[in-house]
Amino acid sequence: MVRLSDTETQDEPQALPGDGLREGIVDSLRADLGEHLVDTHLVPQDDLWVRVSADAWALTGQSLKAQGFEYFCFLSAIDWMPSPYGKGEDDPDAEPSEPDTEIRQGYAGGETRFQLFARVTDVGRHVGVTIKADVPDSMTMPSWIAHYAGANWHERETHEMFGIGFDGHPDLRNLYLPGEFEGFPLRKDFPLLSRMVKPWPGIVDVEPMPEFDEPADEVGAGEGRGSDEADGDAS
Amino acid sequence: MGLVDRGRMPAPLTKLFNMGRSYSLWVYQWGLACCAIEMGAAFASPRYDVMRLGVIPLPASPRQADFVVVSGTVTDKMAPAVKRLYEQMPEPKYVISMGSCANCGGPYWDSYSVTKGVDQIVPVDIYVPGCPPRPEALLEGIVLLQQRIKNEDMAAKWRGEEYTSLQKTAALEAAEPIVVGGGPIE
Repeated sequence: MVRLSDTETQDEPQALPGDGLREGIVDSLRADLGEHLVDTHLVPQDDLWVRVSADAWALTGQSLKAQGFEYFCFLSAIDWMPSPYGKGEDDPDAEPSEPDTEIRQGYAGGETRFQLFARVTDVGRHVGVTIKADVPDSMTMPSWIAHYAGANWHERETHEMFGIGFDGHPDLRNLYLPGEFEGFPLRKDFPLLSRMVKPWPGIVDVEPMPEFDEPADEVGAGEGRGSDEADGDAS
Repeated sequence: MGLVDRGRMPAPLTKLFNMGRSYSLWVYQWGLACCAIEMGAAFASPRYDVMRLGVIPLPASPRQADFVVVSGTVTDKMAPAVKRLYEQMPEPKYVISMGSCANCGGPYWDSYSVTKGVDQIVPVDIYVPGCPPRPEALLEGIVLLQQRIKNEDMAAKWRGEEYTSLQKTAALEAAEPIVVGGGPIE
């Protein structure tokens, strides 16, 4: 069962009978983290989001690894700020609408513009969990490398794309970008100069759509040709 | 032959050598993205059979190649490697830019990380447009390159000049840059 938005599930019990698996994960995380476990969002029989405090990020990784979440899916970040440049694919001739500046975090809430998030999976129990944490103003988070070696390159990517530092990471060189690149491209306020110089060309249809105004008898003739071809194939 | 040292060559001899060169091309494959799938179909499959054009797609290194097909998205991080491998190729060398990304950046025209055309880093002889181009388009690009080689003044090349045509006609000069689909094949 997949709910489309978190508002639908707020008034309902957070777990139906039979999802003790994910409730148990929350309970054991809460036992390890205490008050550092800030919020959870559980869709019964489907998925689990957990928000922890930034200070407990490393402890969360340790706790999850100890619980059997051995498969590291990914680690990345989200910039929740709406783009100050508007939607680049809007019609350039249209009246520009008032830019939306409200920051809305997703499942399990949040308080900061940047959130770090990661997903790990327990392949034995066949269950995954998404971990989120608010990134403090220092833009530095603890590294997960001690618990998940695979986090190394993911943290490098997050560092170059969002400018989030990782305490304990041995080598935060750029992974995708050239070494002398300036700026953090996945931040919403990173300007795409090409789009500022020129509006998105795809908004204009160069060719009109083909028209289908064939007379009825031609359609009939077309069907006749089709059957002829079928005969030809058979012979 | 002495003539080479003086940077001069009789036109008939040049034409003979050019014909030999144009039908024994070794191509270095630089597949960077989805265009490489079409390049693989053109170069490695019996359906399109690039060897019937005299092109051998199997050099072990760029040092043995006569031309390179850059097929796919060239990123700013990859660009120095493209240039370096191009510089390792022996003269005379040619470049076919295959696909919209290699031609001009293509759908990544506004990207922060994509080079807006491989011609910003190496000189391109033939452009093959398409996203991706069909194998036939790449084969037409090779035929156009062979025509270009056949009409090349090698003496001028040895004197260190840019590409120079043996016969300068208005049609040839108007055809620059050479783009597949931009004109008839002789």
